[in-house]
Formats: sequence, C-alpha cells, structure tokens
Amino acid sequence: MLKVKKDKINGLIGEFLKDYLVFAPVKDGSRSKFKKITDPAEISTGTVKSERSPKDVFFPQSEVLFEYDTNGVRISDNEEKPYLLWGVRNCDTKSIRMLDKVFGNAHQAPDKDMYKDPYWKKKYDTSVIFNFACTAPLSTCFCNWFGGGPFDETGSDVFVVETDGDLILKGVSEKGKALLEKLSVTIEAEKKDEELAETAKKKAEEMMSKPTDISNLFEKLSTVWNEPVWQKLAAKCVNCGACAFICPTCHCFDVSDEGKNGRGKRVRLWDSCMFPIFTMEASGHNPRGNSTQRVKQRVMHKFNYFMENYGSHLCTGCGRCIVVCPVNFDIREVIKGILDHKIKEKVQADV
Amino acid sequence: MLQELKDTVKKILEEKKADIVIGWKKGTLPGIATPLFMEYPEDVGELIFDHTCRNNLTSYLTKDKRKLSKDHAKVGVIVKGCDARSVVLYAVENQVKRENVFIIGVHCEGMYEKKKLRAAAEGKEIFSVKSSGNIVTIKGRDLEKSVPEKEVLSDSCIYCRYPDAREYDVFIGEPRKEVDVPEEFSSVNEFEKKTAEERWEYITEEYSKCIRCYACRNVCPSCYCNECFVDQNNPQWIGKTPETTDSIIFHLIRNIHIAGRCVDCGSCVTACPVEIDLRIMNKKVEKEIRERFGYTAGLDINEKPAMATFCEHEKQDFIMS
Repeated sequence: MLKVKKDKINGLIGEFLKDYLVFAPVKDGSRSKFKKITDPAEISTGTVKSERSPKDVFFPQSEVLFEYDTNGVRISDNEEKPYLLWGVRNCDTKSIRMLDKVFGNAHQAPDKDMYKDPYWKKKYDTSVIFNFACTAPLSTCFCNWFGGGPFDETGSDVFVVETDGDLILKGVSEKGKALLEKLSVTIEAEKKDEELAETAKKKAEEMMSKPTDISNLFEKLSTVWNEPVWQKLAAKCVNCGACAFICPTCHCFDVSDEGKNGRGKRVRLWDSCMFPIFTMEASGHNPRGNSTQRVKQRVMHKFNYFMENYGSHLCTGCGRCIVVCPVNFDIREVIKGILDHKIKEKVQADV
Repeated sequence: MLQELKDTVKKILEEKKADIVIGWKKGTLPGIATPLFMEYPEDVGELIFDHTCRNNLTSYLTKDKRKLSKDHAKVGVIVKGCDARSVVLYAVENQVKRENVFIIGVHCEGMYEKKKLRAAAEGKEIFSVKSSGNIVTIKGRDLEKSVPEKEVLSDSCIYCRYPDAREYDVFIGEPRKEVDVPEEFSSVNEFEKKTAEERWEYITEEYSKCIRCYACRNVCPSCYCNECFVDQNNPQWIGKTPETTDSIIFHLIRNIHIAGRCVDCGSCVTACPVEIDLRIMNKKVEKEIRERFGYTAGLDINEKPAMATFCEHEKQDFIMS
C-alpha cells in the first residue's frame, strides 16, 4: 500500500489534472455534487456523501446526441482527456459499474449481443475511480443489505482510506495499479498506517445498523404482483421524481427532438417511471395510469427485473432517496413491507 | 391534545363519519413525520401531531386523478390552518365537494423546516430533534445543540396569519382567530428593494439549481391539473432539460398558475431536494393579488377566486402604461 502525506494531496491532484478531467464532490449552494474541477481547492472536504450522485458524470441529465440542419447531421466529437473520479463512495462506485452493465455491455450474457452505448463508452471506458472508504457512514446508509460495507473496495480502481488527513492508497484494478506506479508523490505506507486504516474500518462497520436479510426479496417479489400490499405501500407516494433523479442507479431516459426552422438537436434526458407521461401511449392509453402501478414498477425494476436481466439488485443502499423524499417514503420500509407480507391462501371465490 | 385527537379520529371511523382519515405518524428520519392513512379505529395508535407534521395532507384529495376522493365517499383529513385553506380552495374550485370531506382541525404551533434544521446542525447528521418550551435541542453525530424555536420554524409558519383552521367539522381545542402579522411580507419587501437586475440574478440563480423532479408541484395542494403543461408533448410547451432557461419557465408559469391560490403551506419549500427558495416568488404573487384584488386564498368558501372574477374598479394600470 502507498501513502500520500496530507501536504502532498493537492500536488497529487495537480498531477492528475494534467492528464485527466478530474471530477470530485464540490459544494453547490448548501448541497454538494460531482463536478469537473480545475483546482484542488474546489473539492468539498468533509462531505460524507455528495447529495447528488456521480452518475451524471457519465450519464448527464441532458445530453445532446446529435445536431442537425439542412446540411446534415453532426455528432460532437470533442477529443477529451480520460475521466478521473475522486472521492467516490463505494455505493456510488458500484452504481457506476451497474450502469455499465446497461450502457456499456459489461454484462456478458450467453447468446445476447448487448447494446453498447457510444456516448457512455467514450467517457467510461478510459475512466479511473478513486473510491474513498466511508469512515463515518450515515444512519440512512444500508449498503450492508446488499453485501457491501463502508470499507468495501469492490469495483474500485484505487481504494483510498483517509487517516489523520493522510491518504493510504491501494491499487485494486489493473488500471488502478498501473496508475499508482506512475505517481511521484507517494511513499510506501508503514505498518502503523495500515493499523490506523484497520481501526477506522472496525469503527465504521460498527456504525452501520444491522442489515435486513433480503436473500428472498427477488423470489418474494415474483409472487406478490397481484397482492393488495402495493396499495398500502404506495398510498403516500406523490409520484415526483426526486428519488429517481437523486438515485445513483436509476437510468431511464427519454429522447426529445428540439428544433425548428430546419435546425435542431436530439437530446437524451433523464426520465422517471414516477411520471404519468413515462408510459403514456400515442393512443392516449396509459398502462401505468395510477400511482400504485408506478411505485410497483420502481420497486420491481430495482429488486426483481434487474436481478433477472443483470444478476444484481439495482440499488446499492446509498440512502439518498430516503433523505430527499418529501413524504418520507423509505425504501427500507418498502422492502420490509414486501418481505413481511403474507400471501393469503387462495380461497374459492364466491360466485 | 394528542389523546383527544386520537379519540376523535377513532370515533369518526367507528361512526363512519369518514371512510378513511389522513393524519401523520412518526417518520423514519428525525424531525419529519410521514402521512398515515387510517381506515380502522385501531389504526389511530400510530397517529401523532407535533412540529414535524409538515405535509399538507389535503393534497391527497386531488392527487392521482382524485383517486382517494373517488374510492371513498367521505375522506377525513387532519388539518393545520394552511391545510384547511386548501380544502376551501378545492371547494371553491369545484374539485372536491365540501360535504365529502370531514375536516379535523388541530391547534398548530408551527412546523420545523428540514433545511433550517440541517443548517442549525451545521451539516452534521441529525439523530433526534426535541422541543421543550421555545427551545429546540438537536442531537446528532458529534453534536448537541439547543436553538431558539424561531431559528428552525418554517418561514411560512413564522409569518402565518391563520395558524388554525377556520373551516372545520370538528376542532381539537379552541381555534384561534386571525393572528396579526405585520411582517407577513417582509421577505418580499426586502426583495422588492433590489434592482431589477439583482432580482433577476437572484431568481435565475435559485431556479438554475432545479433538477426538474417536480417534487414541488406534486406536493402542492394547488397543483392538481390532470395533465400538467410540462407533461404535454403535443405541442410541447417547454424544453425538458435542467438548463436554467427551461427550468425558469416551469417555475414562473407555476408561480402564475397558483396566483391567488397559494395558501403558503410551505410544502414545496420542504419538498425541494436542492433547496431552491421557492417561497419568495409565491409570496410576491400573493402580495400582488392581495393588493390588487383584496383576495386571500382559502378563507371564504363562498367567495369567487381572484382570477375568476372581474370588477370594474380593479386597478388596470398595467394596460395604461
């Protein structure tokens, strides 16, 4: 393991800035989000978890796919440096890896030629993620439900632990290891540093509350489709898109053509299954016309369909949706509500 | 008071005066209650009413194409002063029949604002919020702090003229009449002192934070259109990007659309995940309506809405200039 002394951290980021576009948590008013930085001083320190997830680094809320006019179509093709993400927590690292299953063909399924999204791949394939361990997880964190933890390094390129302001670095992926070898400001970490990191890990893990066993969730969801439990769980949801837009894994999008007088652009925009127009058909029929159906879709997509299609739950337990929901629709309660729901024995219907 | 409220709701459900009653229960986060739908007398066990019952529950009467109102012949709802005004608004605008709603008024001492609690906690995570007298004690990670209540009360509550319901079927305790609040429009008055450029800069900056999640619209009792103009795509009225130019159109049109209809319940302010100052423009419009038409939303069930009437004596200087 390597170490960067606290007074050398800005120098390290300075080195990265030469070869990479560096994205890090930056304060935006009272909240923080991942933004491209040009100076290490912009980074918001002490952020446990940015209020906005880093998904928009690779999958922006609105992205121009191409522009057109009477002379033809143009796809913007700016040669950009590779991306480096600094200060990402493991819930978000895993989310980005999940999105790569959808957009980047990372999910290799037999006999399936999965779609490769060029806009995603251009940014993602050369990127490096510096995953920072969580030394002080929040009470809304529930990554341990999904087998994660504050010091989980799964998915990281470089895993970083902050100890007394110094950074301990560990190369996890081949890409991460190769990058660390090139750095000039690092020194070898001592045994003492590793012990500090181990102590921090124990402390952080103790701060997490006990996980709920969700090993049955996928199967349970496959059996509750017609159950009344959905009405009960969905009653308070007001169908805004706060949870979906703040979520690091939600990735549904809409495509909008914005143009007039012979010129325009096609834009890809975040969308949410909570919105009534999401499934509105040209005939005027809406297969998910009410709130309960839409809540069911969101839960089913996260904990059933995605598992079926890509082999994992589409949630990493970051807890952001719990914090932003205007009616305290707590996804943990929803999961528990589904697991606790008892399906009544089928009785002969009265004729 | 809580016991009296619980007994009242229980009786309402037992006597079938309402098929369902909406109230609040303790939420999973400190300082935030969550809506509770009670159908059976035993459901009242979880009912609470305190400084955390922020949500204007009357919005459920019209949400989801008025599903709740259609599913039940009579819906009971527990209301603060602002919420009661929303029911009046629905009746005035023919959205819900007054006789189909059983209004249970409670004595409101103001609600805590999520954003202000967070600011008081200096960004640290909050574990508990307790109030005693006019002092609020916030405990959190490496944090224990007591602040005067006024520091964490929502602006809508600090400057509230009608804390208790004027329209109700039953009231728990004795309702207060209108409270005199000379500083009601203080934030607007300050805002008006700025130059046009400064005002534009302020609202542009605020609305540029918008992520177009529509949480403000969806919790708003006055936003009940079956199809919102932002959801229409043939024709498409506005761009759907989070660019400032698009977001600002959404917010300004919403401002105009709830002119003379906003009850200043503060739901939108609390709902906004990016903490936009949504109140300033709503309050500005409320002030304009008050000054021009002498109208305040949700006070009188027999009064025609400001935007649905015309009187010859009304100021028409906007035409002359």
